[in-house]
Amino acid sequence: MALSKRQRAHAIRAGQYGLLVVVVAALVLTADWEQVRKAFFNTEIAAAMFPNVITVALKNTILYTALGFAFGLALGLVLALMRLSSVAPYRWIAIVYIEVFRGVPALLVFIAIYYGVPIAFQIQFDPLSTVMLALGGVGAAYMAETIRAGIQAVPKGQIEAARSLGMSSARATVTIVIPQAFRIILPPLTNELILLTKDSSLIYILGLFREQYELTKFGRETLSRSPSLTPILIAGLCYLIITLPLGHLSRYLEKRTGGKKISTPESTGLGVSA
Amino acid sequence: MSDVVVEITGLKKSFGELEVLKGIDVRVDRGDVVCVIGPSGSGKSTLLRCVNLLEEPSGGKIVVHGVELTDPDVDIDRARTKIGMVFQSFNLFSHLNVLANLTVAQRKVLKRSEQEAQEIALRNLERVGLSDKVNAMPAQLSGGQQQRVAIARALSMDPDVMLFDEPTSALDPELVGDVLGVMRQLADEGMTMLVVTHEMQFAREVADRVLFMDGGYVVEEGPAEQVIGAPRHERTQSFLARVLDPTHQGPRGA
Repeated sequence: MALSKRQRAHAIRAGQYGLLVVVVAALVLTADWEQVRKAFFNTEIAAAMFPNVITVALKNTILYTALGFAFGLALGLVLALMRLSSVAPYRWIAIVYIEVFRGVPALLVFIAIYYGVPIAFQIQFDPLSTVMLALGGVGAAYMAETIRAGIQAVPKGQIEAARSLGMSSARATVTIVIPQAFRIILPPLTNELILLTKDSSLIYILGLFREQYELTKFGRETLSRSPSLTPILIAGLCYLIITLPLGHLSRYLEKRTGGKKISTPESTGLGVSA
Repeated sequence: MSDVVVEITGLKKSFGELEVLKGIDVRVDRGDVVCVIGPSGSGKSTLLRCVNLLEEPSGGKIVVHGVELTDPDVDIDRARTKIGMVFQSFNLFSHLNVLANLTVAQRKVLKRSEQEAQEIALRNLERVGLSDKVNAMPAQLSGGQQQRVAIARALSMDPDVMLFDEPTSALDPELVGDVLGVMRQLADEGMTMLVVTHEMQFAREVADRVLFMDGGYVVEEGPAEQVIGAPRHERTQSFLARVLDPTHQGPRGA
């Protein structure tokens, strides 16, 4: 009995659902839930993490991310404009910067700035400046490519209209092109922000005081003093407190801008994770 | 009243190997309406875009209101404020509302005060019949309305001459009349205009002179009645025959 194309598609889909149910059921039945509960859901340890996990760790994660993102966005915009400049050396500098900082792990950039710069220049950055420069420096390389794609997605007629009204090239870029480019790239930029949030954990390499801990360091430090993995679960949930609204925002913005997506192959990952 | 506003002599323009303009001479006097007609690829849009240097001429000379635009040391941004341009695709700034579209260049380029810029903008919106759309965003307007806003935007700079690059070609047929009406009114007010168009009826009724271009040359030039009504040149005749009666099988085929 030959199945029609539609019947075959139905059969295949039913098979896929069935497989999914079997896999989930197998995982649920074979897991040792008592052990999992002991390892991850120790309410005493969880309670002991408060309020510091919020007032110190979550606050610092947000602070470090915000510093890195602000610096990265500004530098990324400059790099994007250099990348599109008619002046060849600007383009070369931007390309070299982007290739280097997107190619090396963010962790190495943290180390270079915190430990390398003082050796070379007798300038010691404090951790806050380091996280801004390192996180922003790496983020800028990614954001530069995103912003460049956004600028190039602004219709040429917009620039011609601006120029025909007597605006200089620079004026047209600032007043007409960049505001439109940012509207287009808001969703991918939100994505970069989420990636930076997670990479802010790399600051652990600087050796921090207790009040400088962010979520990952805080979770690991608590972990080392407790017989349970609960701190990791709490830290993870705190990351979601930041990233879930951002993801929601990103989808909302995407819908609002009519689903016009600018995808750069580079906007999908950011350095290493700790 | 015959002072020259636009004077083009020996204008040439090449895109790589392709020579689009092969030596064009055009003169537009104050208050004149000059329509440029011709088949696609004849170079008429390129000619218009050269007049405000959106395309860099390869040779020849362009003088607008006594300023030689082809002089390498010319302040082109300053010169462009006196040359209004209306595009086929409107090109309203999509992130700004109608009022801001009309005031942004006044504020940033002419350094007018917010209040002065708004007064001028409102006056020009009234001229094109869109006073009620002050706060609308471009995407909320029909094509005809967008084009009229674009005209008002150009007018807000108080230009000496207005360039129209096929202003009705992107419009639905029923919206063409509104835009042509505004252009006709401008012509009646004495605005100097250089119009690239396929609207033969408009050219015939409004233009002081009509230029027929083909293959990078001005083939025929004269009063509208003559060029459109009784063309002398064979190429003009066959073009008009095809435009005025699309089913007509001319000497060059349909």
